[in-house]
Amino acid sequence: MTIDWWTLGLQTINAVVLIWFLGRFFFKPVSAIITERREAAQAELDRAAQAVATAEAERQAVQSDREAFAAVRTSLLEDARAEAKVERERLMKLAEEEAQSLRSDAEVRLKRQRADAQAALLEDASDLAVGIAQRLVSRLPEAALVGPFVEGLAGAVGALPAGVQEAIGRDGPALVRAPRTLSDTERQRIQEALSAALGRPLNLRVEVAPDLIAGLELEAATASVRNHFAADLSRIKAELITHG
Amino acid sequence: MENPLITEPLFSIGPVPITAPVLGTWAIMAVLMAGALWLRRRLTSQPDRVQTVAELLVTTLDGQIRDTMRRDPAPYRSLIGAIFVFVLVANWSSLIPGMEPPTAHIETDAALALIVFVATVYFGVKTQGLRRYLASFAEPSWVMIPLNIVEQITRTFSLIVRLFGNVMSGVFVIGIVLSLAGLFLPIPLMALDLLTGAVQAYIFAVLATVFIGSAVEGGHAPSAAEKQESSS
Repeated sequence: MTIDWWTLGLQTINAVVLIWFLGRFFFKPVSAIITERREAAQAELDRAAQAVATAEAERQAVQSDREAFAAVRTSLLEDARAEAKVERERLMKLAEEEAQSLRSDAEVRLKRQRADAQAALLEDASDLAVGIAQRLVSRLPEAALVGPFVEGLAGAVGALPAGVQEAIGRDGPALVRAPRTLSDTERQRIQEALSAALGRPLNLRVEVAPDLIAGLELEAATASVRNHFAADLSRIKAELITHG
Repeated sequence: MENPLITEPLFSIGPVPITAPVLGTWAIMAVLMAGALWLRRRLTSQPDRVQTVAELLVTTLDGQIRDTMRRDPAPYRSLIGAIFVFVLVANWSSLIPGMEPPTAHIETDAALALIVFVATVYFGVKTQGLRRYLASFAEPSWVMIPLNIVEQITRTFSLIVRLFGNVMSGVFVIGIVLSLAGLFLPIPLMALDLLTGAVQAYIFAVLATVFIGSAVEGGHAPSAAEKQESSS
């Protein structure tokens, strides 16, 4: 076996040239593109990490704001509860005062209504009593409606003061009211009794007034003498209402 | 069949005889250079299939250098990578009819081993400095100086003989079988020769890396960043 030194030299040169060429035009560019892509990927990762860090910082900021809002909310709620408590107590006090006022007004109104009802009841009772009396009187004989009252009327006229007596019948016939039309006898009797009570003759003018029920009434300019059941019943009714 | 141990000149350029291995090497160089230029023009950040294969090759090569030398692979990438690619393509060129792989001739293997030897010395001196590099021959004791010098030479010869023996024997065996048997019988042997060629290319590149790595090992220790980068 022999070695061709020319071939050895040429192959050495060839190998050196190939190493330089591949290093210059293959390994270096390919390695550069790998490095470039790796750096680009790393840059993307760095950007992503930065974005994650930013997002985390924003999340923490939001969390902090949320906690601050929660604290403010709690404070506001406590203040609102305190204010509501004070307001409720004030409203309760006002309500109690208003209820007390309404209760007092209601008691006054109830007392008044009770008094009105009692008065109405008494009036109804008086009307009932008067009605009963009228029915009872209506059963009496006609003569009993006038005759028994003549002496009483004359006595009452006689008890009047002298000045009043003087004024009766001075300006014309004296007005006498009766529950029915008087007969001449009854008219004569009344005229005589009144003339005797006054001590002078007296002319009469008779007027029928059924509301008198029974009795007589003398009407003068300055006095009115009543001697009949209507006046008595009115007096009794007034007494009943006054004294309950 | 011609004797693979004898290199006959095909023609001469002046006083320089051009032999078949040189011609085959030129052909392989032309293909590799054309391929490198073609690939270089179409390199983009969105790699296609061919670029992906090229990037895979470079990445694997970097990883191998980094794992072996514990250093940044950039200064050694061109040398180791070009040797690996050339030896691989040269070994597989035996599949082309009428083509004899240049690595089946001892001059080609000797040229490659010589380059590795020179590169070993160059990187050793560059990394450690001439004094420290020469002092490394006296490690662990000055008694070891002759042995270390002999080791430098013998391991270079081992590179030559290993590659030459494997490739030449494969070509020789296939030639013998082809001359004795039919046309298709050597196909399994050719497939085996493909595997052998790839393995030998890998072994040559790895041994070159180991030799250079041992030469620069006495230099500066790899930094923490380099260690972390190499482990990732």
